[in-house]
Parts: sequence; structure tokens; C-alpha cells
Amino acid sequence: MNRRVRPARERPAAERRGGVGLVERLAAWRDLHLYSLVSSLGRLAQRPWASALTIGVMGVALALPLGLLLALDHLAGFAGDLREARELSLFLDVDVDEDAAAVLAERLRARADVVAVAVRTPEQGLAEFRGMTEFSGALAVLDYNPLPTVLVVSPAVGADPAQLASALEAAPEADFVQHDALWRERLGAWLAFGERLAWVVASLLGLGALLVVGNTVRLDIQGRAEEIAIVQLLGATDGFVRRPFLYLGAWYGLAAGLLAWTLVALAALALRAPLTQLADSYGGGEHLHMIDPAAATVLLLGATALGWLGAWLAAGHQLRLSRPKHAA
Amino acid sequence: MSLLRFDNVSKRYPGGHEALSELSFELAAGEMLFVTGHSGAGKSTLLKLVHLSERATRGAVLIGGKNLAQVGRRGVPRLRRQVGVVFQDHRLLADRTVFDNVALPLVIAGTPRAEIGRRVRTVLDRLGLLERERALPQMLSSGEQQRVGIARAVVAQPPLLVADEPTGNLDPQLSAEVMALFAALPAQGTAVLVASHDLPLVKRLNKRVLVLDHGRLIDDYRPGRAA
Repeated sequence: MNRRVRPARERPAAERRGGVGLVERLAAWRDLHLYSLVSSLGRLAQRPWASALTIGVMGVALALPLGLLLALDHLAGFAGDLREARELSLFLDVDVDEDAAAVLAERLRARADVVAVAVRTPEQGLAEFRGMTEFSGALAVLDYNPLPTVLVVSPAVGADPAQLASALEAAPEADFVQHDALWRERLGAWLAFGERLAWVVASLLGLGALLVVGNTVRLDIQGRAEEIAIVQLLGATDGFVRRPFLYLGAWYGLAAGLLAWTLVALAALALRAPLTQLADSYGGGEHLHMIDPAAATVLLLGATALGWLGAWLAAGHQLRLSRPKHAA
Repeated sequence: MSLLRFDNVSKRYPGGHEALSELSFELAAGEMLFVTGHSGAGKSTLLKLVHLSERATRGAVLIGGKNLAQVGRRGVPRLRRQVGVVFQDHRLLADRTVFDNVALPLVIAGTPRAEIGRRVRTVLDRLGLLERERALPQMLSSGEQQRVGIARAVVAQPPLLVADEPTGNLDPQLSAEVMALFAALPAQGTAVLVASHDLPLVKRLNKRVLVLDHGRLIDDYRPGRAA
């Protein structure tokens, strides 16, 4: 019984609070936001050049890291296949015959740091070359097969490819070892560095964009100091004063995000033809793609949030300055 | 209970200038009161303490029994909505129409839109401004602008209205008209506190008058009692 008494006593107060027409209060809340939304658009339109300048600066600041990330994304995709291929190619002396090659392959398979060894005979190599049109003419002239037997050695996971390469080179049948591990590692390191660099640049330029919006909103607030003072005297809360500026900042951010997206898309369009050509020369596969919808959404949301935050910081600072002085 | 009460209020500005000294008076709901005195006597400071643009250094200012010293930062907007303010220089928003200016206190208070339209037009009609609702403030005469300022101050039907030299920029005839508007408010339940140095006009209206001199109350003239 006791447990039921308290909620029953509290209910009238709760009902009173929620009951003063929840629908009406929601409508009033919506009206307040609509009012802020409309007045923020009015402010944007009132100073078209200042607004365009802010959006332009912010848009370019966002477009730079965005373009960099997109370029790295492409490069990483293109380099991905190369990086994954860890095999070492052991070219044998030309005079090593098929049987000797098979024996050597067997010996290598027994090593702990080797997973698999594939034997590619000179005939297979020749057939492969014939498949490449550039070489077919030249090969037709030859009356003998100049290609050596190649052992394609896959190192075990965790094995040191460089050490394995020198071991393979030491074999008496070996002519030379083609080993791209170092180059691949460096490429990987460069890509990782590039990505980190892009994020650092993005952070710095993002901060710049924040300051640009903050400064623009600050100027706008200063230009409206009298209006703010009046509405504060009429009983406006900090939220009421701040809200149109927050919407304003969000508009700046959204427009800047759209501009950044457009700039990157235009840059991609300009680079598409030569890049496709370049990719084709490396065997094609990776083609230039645009920003996908998910990334574009993240970009626009992020830019809007950035503008909102910049406005919030600027408005908060100005509101603290305009607060009535409290006498000690 | 009095609507507004000053209890031994002193106000000293950071520079050391004492604008008000131990001021005490009460204003009942629906009462009209003039505050007069030479320039710098503390009239404006008194009004600023009422709508919390400034805070008292000593003593207590109470509105509806609530001590303003206990009104925190978040409570200031709510308190100001109970006090309509009219300024000498109108302080209208130049880029909004008469209607939007008058609607501002209701918009701030979150009044439903349909009700805003109804109440604003009622007030504009009462002050003879209904024809001008779409005009911008600079298209209006000085007297009309002041009437818009009054409309804005009363549209939310605050229990108390304060006015700082509301006729300072008006010629004698317009001043008399504007004062008559104020004098009509107590009948509608709004207490009115007007700071003015226009003594002849104040005397003609035959209402209660506080006289300040260098921040001190030197006279509290009540027509009924003195006569």
C-alpha cells in the first residue's frame, strides 16, 4: 500500500506539467525553431558576399584533406594487390634442367620458412610472354627458348623475406632472386604516412574552418549587439539569442560541405582521363570512383556540425560578455 | 502584498559613484507611480534594478514578493517577462515590421502563433496602429514609434511596466497623448512606473510621484493624501 501512495501523490504535479497542452508546447517549441531557422536564413541573405566568402574559405579548407584522402584511397587500392604478393622469384641458371629444378624445389619445400614452391618451366614462361602482344613479334624471331626455369617461392608467415632471399641466392643453381619486399614495405609505409598526414592536415584545416565560422558569426553577433540587448531585455533566454546563430553556423557548414564535395568531384572529373590511362598501363583494374553516398553524408554532417560548433563557441563568448553585471 | 518593493536599496557603481542611497518605497498592483528628479538623480538606475540590468549593492528589490538578489542567471529572462519596458529612444528593431516588433515578447515567451496574431492586433488596435502593422519603424513618426514601443511593452500583459523618459523626444502634445496611454494601463491591471523629468506634465496627471535627489528619496507625493 505504502509503495502506491507516493506515485499517486506525485501524479497531479507531473500531470500539471505535462498537461499544460503538450501539443501546444511542442507547437510553440517548433515555432521557436522555425523562427530561428527563418531569421538565420535572413541573416545569410542579408550579407551575401560575406556569407559566400566564409563558405568559400571553409569549403576549400574541407576540400583539401578530402581530396588527399580520396587520392590515398585510390593509391592504396591500386597498391593493395602489389603489397599482398609476397612471393620471391628465384631465377635459375639457364643450364639447370627440369629435373635439377624439381630437386631444388623439393629441397626448398623442406625449409621451415617456405610454405610453397611453384616451378615455372621455360615453356610456361614463353607461353606467358606470347600472350603479351608486345612481345609476340620479338619471340617469333627467336629459334630457341632463352628463358630460365623460375621457382616462385612463398615465404611462411612471419618469415623474414630478406633472409630467405639471401639463402636462395646462395644456392649453386641460382642466377638471381627477384625480391620486392623492401620496396613493398616502403610503399606501405609511405601510404600509412600519407594517410596520417591527410588526417593531420584535415584536423588543422578543420580547426581553421571552425575559426572561420566562429569569426564570421562573431562579426554577425557584434553587428546585432543592439538587437541582442533588446531581446534580452524583453526576456529572451541565452538559448533564444544563440539559436539563430547556431542555425547560421550550421548553414555555413552545410554549404561549405556541399562546396567541398563539388570541388573534389570537379577535380576528380578533370583527373579521370589521364588517371584511367595510367591505371590501364599498370594492368587496369582500379578506376577513379567518386565519393560514395555514405562518405558524402558523413562529409556533409561533419561540415554542418563544424559550423554549428564554431557558431556555438562564438555565441557563447559574446553572451558571456553581454551578461548583466552582478554587483558584489 | 505590494507588487514592487524597494527595501533600503543602495546602488554603487564600480567607479564609486553612489547612484541610489537607502531607497525604500512600495508599488501596489495596478498603481501608477512617477519617479522624477534632476538628471543623474538615480531614476534610470532605479528602473535598471527593476528589470535586472543592474543589481543592488545593498538592500532588497522585491517583485511579487521575490527578492531579485535570489534570481540567478537562468531566472533573469523569466523575471524580465513580468516587466514591460519602454525606452526613451524606443529601441525598436529597424529591420522588422511594426507587427514583428510588437510580437517579439510573445515569440520569446513561446506563445502559440495563432494567439500571437490575435494579441498583437488587439494591442495595435487599442493604440491606433493597426493600419501601420506592416510598416518599418523608420517609416513612422516619433510619436508612432513610441506607441509601438508601448505596444511591445504591454502585449504580453506584464503585471508591471517601467518606462524611462518615454516622452523625452516628443513635443508637448504627443507627450500628453503618450502619458494618457500610460495612465490608462492601471485600469487594465498593469502597474506603471514612469521615470520623467517633465514635471508640469507629471503634475497635470495628478498621480503619485517619487522625487529623487542625488540618489535619495526626498518626497513621496500622493495626490489624495496631500490635497
